[in-house]
Amino acid sequence: MSDWEVIPIPLFGRKKKEKEEEKKEGVSEALKGVLYGFAVHGAATAALKTRMHMEHLFMLMTLGDMLGFPIIPPYYSLKILPYVVPNIKSWKERLFRERDFTDLLSG
Amino acid sequence: MQVAFLETPSLWIIGALVAYGFAYYVYAKWVDEHIWEVSEKRVTPAHMYLDGVEYFPVSRYVLYGFQFKSIAALGPILGPFIAVAYGWLPALIWIVIGNMFIGWVQDYSTIMLTVRNEGRSMGPLVYNAIGERGRKILLAYLLFYLLIISAVFIYLVSLFWNVFPGSFIATIGIIITGLIVGELLYKYKANIFGVTALAIILTLISVGIGTAVAWPPKNFFGPWSVQVWSIILAIILFVGAIVPLPKFITPMNFVAVFPAIGGVLLIIFGALISPATGIKLIQPAFKGWYVENVGPIFPILFVSIACGAISGWHSLVSTSTTGKQLDVETDARPVGAGAMLTEGLLATSALAAYMVVSPDLIAKGKISAFVNGATLLTAPFLGGDASKAYLLTFFSIFLVIYAITVQALVTRYWRVFSAELFRGSWAWLGNKYIATATGLILPIIFALTGSWINLWIYFGGSNQLLAAMALTLVAFYVAKMNKPSWYSAVPAAFMTVVTLSALLWEIYTFGLSTFGIKKPLAKPPLTQYPGAAWALNALFFVIGIILFVLGIYMSYALWNAYFKAKRGEVEAKAVSP
Repeated sequence: MSDWEVIPIPLFGRKKKEKEEEKKEGVSEALKGVLYGFAVHGAATAALKTRMHMEHLFMLMTLGDMLGFPIIPPYYSLKILPYVVPNIKSWKERLFRERDFTDLLSG
Repeated sequence: MQVAFLETPSLWIIGALVAYGFAYYVYAKWVDEHIWEVSEKRVTPAHMYLDGVEYFPVSRYVLYGFQFKSIAALGPILGPFIAVAYGWLPALIWIVIGNMFIGWVQDYSTIMLTVRNEGRSMGPLVYNAIGERGRKILLAYLLFYLLIISAVFIYLVSLFWNVFPGSFIATIGIIITGLIVGELLYKYKANIFGVTALAIILTLISVGIGTAVAWPPKNFFGPWSVQVWSIILAIILFVGAIVPLPKFITPMNFVAVFPAIGGVLLIIFGALISPATGIKLIQPAFKGWYVENVGPIFPILFVSIACGAISGWHSLVSTSTTGKQLDVETDARPVGAGAMLTEGLLATSALAAYMVVSPDLIAKGKISAFVNGATLLTAPFLGGDASKAYLLTFFSIFLVIYAITVQALVTRYWRVFSAELFRGSWAWLGNKYIATATGLILPIIFALTGSWINLWIYFGGSNQLLAAMALTLVAFYVAKMNKPSWYSAVPAAFMTVVTLSALLWEIYTFGLSTFGIKKPLAKPPLTQYPGAAWALNALFFVIGIILFVLGIYMSYALWNAYFKAKRGEVEAKAVSP
């Protein structure tokens, strides 16, 4: 018995139908994917990370009071709040995630 | 002209393909199913922590391409050059056996480690196994490791520019193409297919211009030519490390992809059809157990071919990015094992290029051996003698590209790494400009000796030792799962012994010159300055000792943790959550 139990989460498992569709994609899709991975994927990930760092700064400046950093008056924070609600959860998760020096390799 | 099948590299390429097929479809499949018991239903960190930035599921094809691009550098191409000094057969045996039983084991298993440990990268995985001190020592080890990689790659690119007239102009052409492509893609949002076609055409034109101009000639800057080229390269890398990625490195890497893939495919094709083109094997299969100025076959052979058989760098890539973006666990085999075995094929094709060149080129340590061999293999079906000059420039650019694209990222990594590392009163060392300059000046000083083969062995030794650590770490986690850990522990033990022995050999070699028993290892023009040559040899002696001591500590701590896990004595805090 391994340490890690199998957690059957249908949402995340690849369904039979999806598998069949994948087979239909054929060689051309695979080649496209490999070429994309070879040429662009690293750059796309790095661009996403750059955006993430910018977003962290923006969110911290505008909604810092949520984390105990009241940088701008709450009046303005409240005006911005409706627009950033969808990002708050993932922002907090990303900001509080501990990063190691070996994580820096990915950009 | 047709020659006997057995007299050509074709048979060996086919043999290697069969061996890699066995490793992938039989051995890796068995490990995948019986040790890791992968399941499509087990949730991966890419889904569990989905944030669209660091954690998100990526298609196996995309990840395979990304993994291969991230792990393939000069190692599998130039490593066989040193190894073939013992004959092509030992080199081939090591590439094939290394890939089959060690290389893919590390790449695949480290991806699985990250997947099964909430997307943790190498540092936290080491921390979980051996604690904070182990993590700090890994950090110190990586610092020296990055400097040595940089020293080797900067020196080699400078050497290529010096030796191959026209290669510098072609490189500049490719960099300018990258800048144009970057502007078209990011600023003007041009059509990707059109831009790609333009990139390929401009790359081929750049190689053509380099071939036609064939300037500057060898030793253009006099006796210090290689060092001057190093400074020119450092300026380019400095700019690459400080400007935003999409402005420089990203488009340059995008453009570099096409000659990089094209070159590999051409060489493999050339080797496969060699019975028809009449290109014969002319290197001896075995030359001897000891090579002057290189060392004994054990352990040097196993560290000279680094990335082509196994490489510690791959474990960093696998744990920092790939493992976090794996869609389902069953993708780990095509991505991790598949990319590594493809790199094995790259090393085998590079070896094929060395098999067909004159033994004199290898004996004299001529760096042009690969370019000559690749041109010999490919010219017969690409226009014969008329295309030789163009192909020589193309394959010299092929070498430059593999080195410069990785070095640009290593320099940038060093900068970001320094910013994180140096705090408080040392914070100035983490300054964007100072850190980048330090990460370039130190390697240039290291490379002043010109004794790149010794530097390469240091690079191989430290790189393979990192791989040994990663394999031991895998064995530790697998032992904790109460699964058979021999598949990782046996390669880990072998690699630990080999790499520590290689480091000891280099310490001994530099020790002889440090203590005046032998002349310092240096090449002209540094030989005119014996004091400086001695100082650099002494520096390498000290660096070797530091790497050895750090390596011994890490190996001891990791093996200790492994045996404790085997006996079921692992403390709760060290157990992965």
